[in-house]
Amino acid sequence: MSTARLETQDLAIGYPGRPVARGVSITVAPAQILAILGPSGSGKSTLLTTIAGVTPAIAGSVVVDGRNVTTTPIHQRGVGLIFQEPLLFPHLSVLDNVLYGLRRQRIPRAAAGQRAEELLDWLDLGGYGDRSVDELSGGQAQRVALARALAPRPAVLLLDEPFSALDADLRSRLAADVAQMLRREGVSAIHVTHDAAEAEDMADAVLSMTDFDLSFVPPSR
Amino acid sequence: MPRWLAWAWVVPAAFLAVFLAYPLGVLVARVGESSGWPLLVSSATWHVVPLAAVQAALSTILAVVVGLPIANVVSRYRFRGRSFAQAAVTVPFVLPTVVVALAFRSLLGPGVPQGFALVVIAHAYVNLAVVVRIVGSQWAQQDADVEYVARTLGATRWTAFRTVTVPLLRPSIASSAAVVFVFSFTSLGIVLLLGDSTTRTLESQILRQTSVLLDFPGATASAIVQLVLVSLILGMGVAAGRTPARRRMRLPTLRALPLGGAARWTIRATATVAVVIVVLPVVALVIDSLRANGGWSLAWWRGVASVDAGTSRIGSPLSALGTSLAFALVCALVACVVGGLAAVAVLTHGRTRVISLIAIVPLGISSATLGLGTLLAFGRPPVDLRGSGLLVPIAHALVAVPLVVAVVAPALRSTDARTMAVAASLGARPTRAFLTAYGSVLRVVMLASAGLACAVSLGEFGAASFLARAGTPTVPVQIVRLLSRPGEQSSGVAAVLAVILVALTLTIVMLVDRLGVTRTRPAAT
Repeated sequence: MSTARLETQDLAIGYPGRPVARGVSITVAPAQILAILGPSGSGKSTLLTTIAGVTPAIAGSVVVDGRNVTTTPIHQRGVGLIFQEPLLFPHLSVLDNVLYGLRRQRIPRAAAGQRAEELLDWLDLGGYGDRSVDELSGGQAQRVALARALAPRPAVLLLDEPFSALDADLRSRLAADVAQMLRREGVSAIHVTHDAAEAEDMADAVLSMTDFDLSFVPPSR
Repeated sequence: MPRWLAWAWVVPAAFLAVFLAYPLGVLVARVGESSGWPLLVSSATWHVVPLAAVQAALSTILAVVVGLPIANVVSRYRFRGRSFAQAAVTVPFVLPTVVVALAFRSLLGPGVPQGFALVVIAHAYVNLAVVVRIVGSQWAQQDADVEYVARTLGATRWTAFRTVTVPLLRPSIASSAAVVFVFSFTSLGIVLLLGDSTTRTLESQILRQTSVLLDFPGATASAIVQLVLVSLILGMGVAAGRTPARRRMRLPTLRALPLGGAARWTIRATATVAVVIVVLPVVALVIDSLRANGGWSLAWWRGVASVDAGTSRIGSPLSALGTSLAFALVCALVACVVGGLAAVAVLTHGRTRVISLIAIVPLGISSATLGLGTLLAFGRPPVDLRGSGLLVPIAHALVAVPLVVAVVAPALRSTDARTMAVAASLGARPTRAFLTAYGSVLRVVMLASAGLACAVSLGEFGAASFLARAGTPTVPVQIVRLLSRPGEQSSGVAAVLAVILVALTLTIVMLVDRLGVTRTRPAAT
């Protein structure tokens, strides 16, 4: 049996009659960060939403920790997802955002609180727990999104260009922090970006969407 | 800005002072001078309130429970027939309530007992559009990925809906619920035609106190109690409906249908059921107008113009249509002048909140209250306007003015004021510069507003039931009079009048829609 945390086997992604990529086979080892580069429209985001279960796979399979999760509902996959925008729950405080996944796992209150505070501290957000998410800057909000995604200890974390909305300076600082955080937590991750330098800095390995079969994507895309 | 625009507020302010504030003042004074303020806490007034509140609460719950899935489907997903479904759901709201009540009677037939349950269902039917439109527009602006984030954090579909979607929609659910509650709490036409002797609202109580019991002080007390309660509920709705200013919303975008067969099927089925629910009573009404003596017949359509078909000494049912159309035109004229100037005043003064608030106040005042107040203020010497034929259109204009402001003000605000400066710099005088900048927008929105005001006037029943003279009833009043008489002919002719009213109202609303009112921005709150 494979020791990989995440494997996709001959995955075809996109929509029925409108495939984006075929033959996508990737392997992510435990605690490995894999960066995937690719131009706009090449299916980077669709690949992540397919692995997470938001978009159904057209063909092929997704295996997490040796378990075929291709048709498993999103909430049972153990795959975290961070989008370009933080998408924090605006009706919850910073702390409650981070606690959200822990509550779904019915982690005892004290342990959950400790885990959430710990994550916020590591991300330089100690003392921000009671704040409204409306009060956060873009960089802070994205850190909270990271803490929220990591809190329930997902097997794999998928990052869909999470720094693209930030300015260049903040982007490089946050990228370094995130990489450090992922390693500390021992989480396997796929980081999708169109920034080659960022991919090199953060990841243990880099793949390009053009490695897959994109032959049916019109050139204009 | 042209100098005269600085005085634009005078006309709407004077109109509201004379035709709204003064009649309400007379109403309040009337209580004071008669049996006194104890009437306000009398059991005759208050015994109606609990049942009316329960009725309104149940109507609201039903409208929200049925409206939420429809709002989800028609405002978030892209599929063939979506626009039609969205428009269809709006239909009951624009139909006169008397027509809706009659349509329900046609649909359910004489065998179904009238009463509380039927009133609740009819109220939910009418107000479905309020929930679908208000909640739907907020839902469409919400990023669907937020729910997916919750799912990746371990939430089931239901948990994500309960813990993320519903809290985010709470402001729109609260404000639509407040509006539905108020509409159901102050309903008249539906309660009169579908309720039994125990199903009452304060509104129907006011009508009963004035026309049956001749208890004017009691009716006035009921009207004041209703005014206070309605203001409280609307205030609570506004407070609960407030969204934090910093909360960013996306532009509404439609999503593709989900790929799963069951989910796709559910969405299509929901849209279809919504259309069927909405259309069925109207179809039943049309069928009723074409059935006589157990067979298909045009007898009621032929009879609609004959005096015999009318109630005693008031001419043919069709003459009511002439009265209604004339009232609608006067109402449109008055509402457009008053509402248009109020909207311009919003633009020039920057006192948006105050003037918008003043303009929407009549919305919170029920039409029976409006009718009773107007009757007490202008229906007897020294100022007796009953013979002028103006009381009904003026009362209707009061109801229509807030709608006119809601259409015109956002359209004017979204126009780039710098065009006026450009025109002025090219030598245009202030009025010419104003017309250059705002003229084309004003032409469209004023026409649309006139259409809306006409539609409001054609369907309004509460105020007209107080103010219309015996010989010149409006169509809704005539329908209720016909229905109070026994016999197949009366109900058949009432169905014909209702069908004509449906056709007129829908034509006007479609024309308004084509004029692009729906494309203007919603009013800032």
